[in-house]
Amino acid sequence: MKHMLIRVTALVALTTSLSAQDRGADPLSRLDPSTRYSVELLLDSARHLGLPYGPIESKALEGISKRASGRDIVVAARRVFRALRDARAALGPASSSDELTAAAGALRVGITTTQLSSLAARRDGKALTVPLVVLADLVTRGVARDTASSTIFQLWQSGAADDDFLGLWRSVERDIVSGTDPGVALLNRARQIPAKGPLTAVPPTSGVRPPEDAKT
Amino acid sequence: MSDAAYVQRVLNGDAGAFTQLVNRYYERCSRFAVRMLGNRDDAEDALQATFMRAYRSLGKYQERDRFSAWLYRILVNQCRSIASRRSQRERVFVREEAALLNAADRRPGWTGEDEELVQRILAELDPLLREAFVLKYVEELSYEEMSAATGVGISALKMRVKRACDRLKARWEYIKDD
Amino acid sequence: MTDEFDSLDPNVRWIINEARRPVPVDAAARDRLLEALRAEPAPARAPRFVAWLAQPRNFQLPPFAAAALAAGLVGIGVLSGLAINRDGRPATEQLPAVAVGHPQLPDSLAAAAMKFVIVAPQAAKVSLVGDFNRWDATATPMVAQGKDGLWTVFVPLRPGLHTYSFVVDGQFVSDPAAPIAPDDGFGHRSSVVLVRKPTL
Repeated sequence: MKHMLIRVTALVALTTSLSAQDRGADPLSRLDPSTRYSVELLLDSARHLGLPYGPIESKALEGISKRASGRDIVVAARRVFRALRDARAALGPASSSDELTAAAGALRVGITTTQLSSLAARRDGKALTVPLVVLADLVTRGVARDTASSTIFQLWQSGAADDDFLGLWRSVERDIVSGTDPGVALLNRARQIPAKGPLTAVPPTSGVRPPEDAKT
Repeated sequence: MSDAAYVQRVLNGDAGAFTQLVNRYYERCSRFAVRMLGNRDDAEDALQATFMRAYRSLGKYQERDRFSAWLYRILVNQCRSIASRRSQRERVFVREEAALLNAADRRPGWTGEDEELVQRILAELDPLLREAFVLKYVEELSYEEMSAATGVGISALKMRVKRACDRLKARWEYIKDD
Repeated sequence: MTDEFDSLDPNVRWIINEARRPVPVDAAARDRLLEALRAEPAPARAPRFVAWLAQPRNFQLPPFAAAALAAGLVGIGVLSGLAINRDGRPATEQLPAVAVGHPQLPDSLAAAAMKFVIVAPQAAKVSLVGDFNRWDATATPMVAQGKDGLWTVFVPLRPGLHTYSFVVDGQFVSDPAAPIAPDDGFGHRSSVVLVRKPTL
């Protein structure tokens, strides 16, 4: 596949612009023909819509590596495509590829496009990648979706930066591992992050009242 | 400034000089790519790949070649490469497109029915005949330049051009009444 | 040329005239091209690349960097790549110094050459897979350090979001100390690493 062969080595890439990964020989050639056509269609559609197609191709390659069936690969790749499309509709066309990937991950764990849009509305030029990765992780670990979403949203609104979110993630993860209820852990740790800007109202999508304080 | 002079400037460190070459050739190359590949997306891919490759291998460009001929050679190869990758995909793509995409947006510069008709006619030609025909009559290259661009001998090219004309003439009546 | 053209069938001449119409250029596509060109290294007359630089996979750090990293130095500026001048000499003075970090810790945001670590004392073979090496289990083997079952590898990653997993004796294992990536769709769990741009 000679599609835009960019033979930039890893080393030179680091110091120049880190353009696309080396595609080398045809990476999708290990797919059976009909699976391959379906995947190529998705890649075409993504390009046509101006969506990043890297995550879709990567998902197909992941499936090949994990010896998944052709059908499972197409289903997974299609899910990525739809999630990216919905993520862009929610976050807006100026979103970076990483933001869309992170948002697609959040959608996969059940965060709604409305919740995503609320985050995007308060972007102020900051990237949503890290908060969304943390959000998706916490939901996967058992924090209720609305709790996770509203907590992350409030932190975001109050000016929390990438380091704050990652610090939060690390401490919540440790609490969960040592037995704390995930939702409780999150709320407790989130309270410990100082607000950087004026707090505003809770986002309209959250209809869940936080649980009572619990001793950890 | 001549093409060769711009190339020298680029190699001497003036990367911006390449932009002048892009501006000079983009539209022409765009036309060839669209006529060959039949759609703007593939054509844009071909153009991007062509100019990137030309830029990267500029050090190998020999002044005795005409820059346009050298560029066309890259362009012809990129178009062939994209076309061969495409194969059966096109027909299936239309169905999937309807299922997956939202409302189709018309590209800017839609010139109406005639362009589509010409594209359809050209698309019916065998790719090798189409390539020779477009290089000869649309891009107006000499047979020497065509030979350099395609790697095919001049007499073979002349035969392809003639066959293309014969086919087009025969198909015209059929298409006119479509 | 005109003689040839005039001797053609009139319908064929019509096709040619139509086909000669310029195709309006999509300005956005051309801008994308120009931007991509701007990001390219300037072409050299006869580029001479050191052979090992031309290997895109199985990345090897230059010897001085590898030595520093093998000593376990974290947070120390390390040259992580080499640019080559036109005349073929390494242009070390052009490089940003980057810190090496651990993907499991939030501080990894500052790194561009990432160290991946997993504890797998019983394992015979461990490798790293992810979107940076096409999930190819043969591309990035990890190396056992000592007898306590620690496996490590250094990988240069472009800044941004990456998904990865370890392959331990053929099994896909997520990084227990990294954020979880959403369901991979194949029954396994993957991990996320976020790499920040290297700072000068």
